Amino acid sequence: MTAAPTTTAPGVTGTWRFPVATLAAGLFAIAVPQVVGSYYVSVALTLCMWIALTQSWTILSGMAGYISLGHVVFYGLGGYVSVVTWQLLPLWVAIPLAGLAAGLFAAIIGAPVLRVRGPYFVILTFGIAELVKYIVINVEATIAQAGRLMFGTPPVTILFYVMLGLAVGATLLAWSVRRSRLGAGLIAIREDEPAAETIGVPVVRYKTYAYILSAVIPGMVGAVMGLRLTYVEVLQLFNPIISFTIVTMAIIGGSDDARGPVLGAGFLLVLSELLWSSLPQLYMVALGTLLVCFVLFAPNGIVGLLARRGGGRR
Amino acid sequence: MDAFLSGQLLFSALVIGSVYALIGLGLNLVYGTMRLLNIAHGDLMMLGAYTSFWLLSLVGLSPILSLLIAALGASAIGAAAYFGLFRRQIEISGPVEKLEANSLLLFFGLSVVVQNLAALAFTASPRAVPYLDQVFRVGEISMTANRLLTLGVALALCAATVIFLRANIYGLAIKALIQNRDAAKIVGVKVERVQLLSFMLGFGLAGLAGVLLSMTEQISPFMGFPFTIAAFVVIITGGLGNLTGGIIAGFLLGFIEIYGVVLTSQNARSIILYGVFVAILLLRPQGLLGGRRVVR
Repeated sequence: MTAAPTTTAPGVTGTWRFPVATLAAGLFAIAVPQVVGSYYVSVALTLCMWIALTQSWTILSGMAGYISLGHVVFYGLGGYVSVVTWQLLPLWVAIPLAGLAAGLFAAIIGAPVLRVRGPYFVILTFGIAELVKYIVINVEATIAQAGRLMFGTPPVTILFYVMLGLAVGATLLAWSVRRSRLGAGLIAIREDEPAAETIGVPVVRYKTYAYILSAVIPGMVGAVMGLRLTYVEVLQLFNPIISFTIVTMAIIGGSDDARGPVLGAGFLLVLSELLWSSLPQLYMVALGTLLVCFVLFAPNGIVGLLARRGGGRR
Repeated sequence: MDAFLSGQLLFSALVIGSVYALIGLGLNLVYGTMRLLNIAHGDLMMLGAYTSFWLLSLVGLSPILSLLIAALGASAIGAAAYFGLFRRQIEISGPVEKLEANSLLLFFGLSVVVQNLAALAFTASPRAVPYLDQVFRVGEISMTANRLLTLGVALALCAATVIFLRANIYGLAIKALIQNRDAAKIVGVKVERVQLLSFMLGFGLAGLAGVLLSMTEQISPFMGFPFTIAAFVVIITGGLGNLTGGIIAGFLLGFIEIYGVVLTSQNARSIILYGVFVAILLLRPQGLLGGRRVVR
């Protein structure tokens, strides 16, 4: 594992480089819809979506080491909220509401779920996502709507701006949590949970905070993506491929550094642009192969490879 | 209430329970001996099911003969996975938790690769070639030959595996490895060879279960995951390395599923399966590790 975030003493001036660069990149990206056509706006939207999702994921799964293979559950719940409330609530209420719903769900299930450790936590999160998916499908079936048609959804440019805000927000959130007391506690939990508890880290509280923090933004991301759809099927909103892609992006990029998810998301987006539309199954094969290779040969991801090449420079 | 007590339901529950017991047994062998969480277990079943499907529809080969071919094929994949991916992982990994987490991610990547390669090769659409599906009646119960065959073969395989583990020297070595890895090494168990054997046996049983399933159910490249989940329910309920416990748990899950569906609706089937899975993990948060490490 790389150095803990508390050892930031050398190069204090450099520590603010990352958030400043993130904000600058975000401001630059505002110009994207003016410069490129709508197809590339939707590509940029997708990139922002993956960055927001993967950054959020690292707060729990990167820092505390509780790998969630079911993060789509928050995305799906958020998407469902925005789809159900569409044309009932304005966008500016529906999206935060979706985040709130996802956070609330995490808060409710957090305590019992986070007692489960290691690989059992991993498969449990997957099971919960599938369980919620089938429950929502049944709920939709009872209110007799096999699929909803969405009329008058906002233009892609508006949704892009919202998603850009979420990507920047998630990146800054992950960065600041990592530097905070909470982040130090979470990393202590990852390294040795009983030891962390012994020295006074409020283990249960911190894990629950991290779970909630990692759920809120995916809820809002799902809400935005729900409005991208013209015809809504619950299966789409809770597609386990989303969870899988998040994990793969984080592991390929490196989840131990706030730059990792950005690199991982960018790398996989290029791959998916090349393959997804024409050969979706080949894309999934490539994704699985990359995951296996990175777990085997580069467990700290692209960031780890870069650090190794730079002689351990961070 | 009459329907509830009918032999018909009992028969259905026994059939699906025997399949669950079989796949749980395979998963238990790989987990117990090496602490590898094979989340691709259901995908091996899928490959077994396709083997039987193609051999039946192209060559007209009976699934009964496909059993042998699928078992050999799945075992070969098991051997390849062991040498290619996991032997080194087991050697280099430090703490057990690290190995478990890594193995899960590796198997997950593998599972995605296998599913999508299958979808590329066979298309994603579900297929079915029913085999021996003439209905006949035994007393009150109407059954089909393929279900009876599934039950019989699955039970025989479970029994054969249990006997192998008790009577054969390699079976005893597998049990020794499950009980205490270090001690097994000290008394001269050839750990590498036994690990390879467990891999081949575990994967082979999954392939066999797939052939059985192909006789009665629709098959598709993405059919495996629910069965992986079922296998996890089985081994968590039955206890680590407790192979007989796992077999009992398999039948228990079969009963819960069939009677649960009868009490609610067909749509609830997935909810019941995943609900039981989530509930069991929440009730036993320590997972298998907290269970009694008794090998029967």
